[in-house]
Amino acid sequence: MREERSDNRSLQRFRWIARFREGWAIYRQSLLGRIGLSLLVMFALMALLSFIPPKIDPMYEPMTGVDPEISHSTGPSKKHWLGTDFMGRDLLSQLLAGARVAFMVGVSAAFMSIFLGTAIGMTAGYMGRIVDTLLMRLADMIMVMPTLLVVLILAALFGQLNIWAIVLIIALFRWPGVSRVIRAQTLSLKHRPFIEAAKVAGASHLRIIFRHIMPNVLPLSFLYMTFRVTSAIIIEAALAFLGFGDPGTVSWGMMLQWVWKTGHMFRAPYWLLPPGICISLITLSFYMLGRAMDEVLDPRLRKEGETP
Amino acid sequence: MELWRYISRRLVQIVIIFFVILTVLFLLFRLAPGDPVERMVDPTMTREDVQRLIAQLGLDQPVWIQYVYYLKNFCTGNFGYSFHYGQPVVDIIWNRLPNTIILFTTSIILAALVGVFLGKIASWHKGTKTDAFMTIGALITHTVFLPWLALILIWVFAFKMGWFPINGMISEEIWLDPDAGMWAKLLDVIHHMVLPLTTLFLIHFGSYLLIMRSSMLETLKEDYIITGRAKGLTEKVIRNHHAAPNAALPVVTSVGLSLAFSINGGALTETVFTWPGIGRELVFSVSQNDYPLAQASFLLIAIVVLLSNLVVDILYAYLDPRIRY
Amino acid sequence: MALLEVENLSVGYHTKKGYLHAVEGVSFSLDEGRSFGFVGESGCGKTTLGMALMGLLPPNGRVTGGRIIFQGEDLLKKTKEEMRRIRWKEIAMIFQAAMNALNPVHRILDQISEAILTHNPSLDKKEANKQVERLFQLVGLPTDRMRDYPHQYSGGMKQRAIIAMALACQPKLIIADEPTTALDVIVQDQILQETESLQKEFGISIIFISHDISIVADVSHNIGIMYAGQLVEYGTREEVFDNPMHYYTKALLASYPTLTGEKKRLLPIPGESPNLIKPPLGCRFCDRCTAAGSTCQIGDPEWMEITTSHYALCGRCMER
Repeated sequence: MREERSDNRSLQRFRWIARFREGWAIYRQSLLGRIGLSLLVMFALMALLSFIPPKIDPMYEPMTGVDPEISHSTGPSKKHWLGTDFMGRDLLSQLLAGARVAFMVGVSAAFMSIFLGTAIGMTAGYMGRIVDTLLMRLADMIMVMPTLLVVLILAALFGQLNIWAIVLIIALFRWPGVSRVIRAQTLSLKHRPFIEAAKVAGASHLRIIFRHIMPNVLPLSFLYMTFRVTSAIIIEAALAFLGFGDPGTVSWGMMLQWVWKTGHMFRAPYWLLPPGICISLITLSFYMLGRAMDEVLDPRLRKEGETP
Repeated sequence: MELWRYISRRLVQIVIIFFVILTVLFLLFRLAPGDPVERMVDPTMTREDVQRLIAQLGLDQPVWIQYVYYLKNFCTGNFGYSFHYGQPVVDIIWNRLPNTIILFTTSIILAALVGVFLGKIASWHKGTKTDAFMTIGALITHTVFLPWLALILIWVFAFKMGWFPINGMISEEIWLDPDAGMWAKLLDVIHHMVLPLTTLFLIHFGSYLLIMRSSMLETLKEDYIITGRAKGLTEKVIRNHHAAPNAALPVVTSVGLSLAFSINGGALTETVFTWPGIGRELVFSVSQNDYPLAQASFLLIAIVVLLSNLVVDILYAYLDPRIRY
Repeated sequence: MALLEVENLSVGYHTKKGYLHAVEGVSFSLDEGRSFGFVGESGCGKTTLGMALMGLLPPNGRVTGGRIIFQGEDLLKKTKEEMRRIRWKEIAMIFQAAMNALNPVHRILDQISEAILTHNPSLDKKEANKQVERLFQLVGLPTDRMRDYPHQYSGGMKQRAIIAMALACQPKLIIADEPTTALDVIVQDQILQETESLQKEFGISIIFISHDISIVADVSHNIGIMYAGQLVEYGTREEVFDNPMHYYTKALLASYPTLTGEKKRLLPIPGESPNLIKPPLGCRFCDRCTAAGSTCQIGDPEWMEITTSHYALCGRCMER
């Protein structure tokens, strides 16, 4: 009888690496995945670059920067590659800052909802019966509600919401989707021999959940979330567009709000087009990423051997 | 019959969910910062009116009695007075409801029908240019940012081309004209509806197309398709008569699942096009701090969403005999 | 002239892992009104054989050789449209009831009348429905259940409905692929008996495909044993059952319990069936065979004639 415990752990890690490599190979084959990833990298670069313009000259500050010579909306020029908005602020800096905000909102909301969804999904799946029923009914109710409108009514009650409050509320409405998947996984794991073994060895419920179930369930939830990120970005953009975003944050939705509300939408295409294109493209890229992920996760979706 | 039992069970569920929503909203109303009375009652009204309204809404009573008043008022349709319009809220939202329903249901139905039809065709031409064109088209229209799409459509077709009005639901000249007949008025509404309808349609039909396409590809692998071929049926009959009805079912499910998303889109569309529906009213009232109107609009939208879910479920039960019998 | 003559048929599939030789050089003939049973383990190619006869291979399947002569004509030379008209009208198929062979969203009545109307477009719906009623009576299904949906039927009822559907156009040949698998034994027996009587009444030829030799032996006049894509023995049922010559057939029979005769220990066949992407040279049964010899793997085994109707693909089977 070999000493299996340490072997087991390194075996597990080995399995992860092997699975990751296999997944990456499949992912690379998918055209959608490649395009999605490249677009995403482009946006990430934009987000990183957003720190540069204000360093070059304070007039490039997205929110407060003011060009001493311009105080209205102008088209693209050498000084302002995309032009300026109605207050003379540089549009390109705003666009880059918007990328930063989009990632921040998307990633934070995704993380929060993964965290919540995983915790609730595992609990529901593992505890079963009443706890499970209650939690899943709650999830059902939340899934029915239109997130945007709920945030609106909350804004009516609690006044202007700041960006983190918005992110939190979005996460509160996204966890049901995650929890369903995690619950299904937990249910299938619940009756596996290694769980039974842990129970017999006297492990508490909490320990079982966190030590044994979670490691098997977490990678799935992370992967699953990659394309759920988009809805958070869209909701934030829609809120900002309607005028209920965080007034201190420059997001793409906010830019659209400005071009719309200041009546420039018909005469400033250089202002109207870029933010909308960006929101749409980032949504598209995450969607593509998600589809490629699906192929990695679900072998049935991979291209079968067609006739040569 | 099975179907009736199914419907009544779902209705009970809806009532329970709505009850929970009502209660949560009430609690938030009490917990939010600021004076709840000032939130519900316009202080600029006359003293007597203010007192009367407070009594009606039970705002001077302890919390639990207030809750009872709240429920009672909801059932009798007393939602208070709108700050902005100075009218009973119920009149306003009742007036707006049909406008939203027209726009919303027409766009969803159209998107579903076209999406299913094109998705079926795309699956049949899988791998060809037609399929790629449709799939990419669906992908792009589905991921475009809705308000932005709306703005673009207005800019190009209303502003630049002048084919359609920029906003609103009706042209006052036509509706105020005593000589204008029913047809003229109807056409006027349709004329105004084209752009908002197109916006909603474009956003939705893409996802239905993609789902139908993959659903068809899955369905064509089923055993009963082999039976169909063995029976000597033409591919056309197999595709349309055997595969499509089965493949369309997930699309119906998808319509139901994405109703919340669709309502969001509906509200945004109404706002950009100034279409006088409840969605727009909600947005508008929140920006005006008109809480009574905002609350009522929200609740009405919640009812619309829940009932739409029920309608979709019933439709699914009707289409899938395994549920009906 | 035989109704069906299959000569040296070979069928394969293109898969991601390579080309799979599913059926290799199978030949047999079937007369009118007779039934032929194919027995073999899963993966031996019997279902592929059935599908190839109907022209229903999936897109990655290919017939790479041989002829299928049905009523004097080579089916492999027919166009798609011609095959479509032959299907069901001349050759019909009975699928496993456990499969999703019936469309869940259409009524049973409509699915059967569709078959009738497709091949008899001059009939009107009422006439077709009347015929379905008669078919229901024939297979013993209650006619008041005609308008039901497939999920409302039990497994046995579904099987009967599938049989009724196969009879709808009065075909000359029916291919029955595992028609009684997943049914309980009592229903199995009923279905087999009814199939037999239907065959006698209408003179339909049947090809039975099953992994269960006892079923096939019950209803077939002739039996063919398949292994690893090849036909390894065939003959009348008495010949194959009472005097199995190929070592696989002997092992197969030894692994089945009998009600009569002396009680013997059941012997499973050790090992696994060979990989058909790279089939072994020589005899494919060699590494599981109790009588394997040094020559078995060198050349392809030959057909040995045991009687004029009984043949086995084994060079050593006649040795003592």
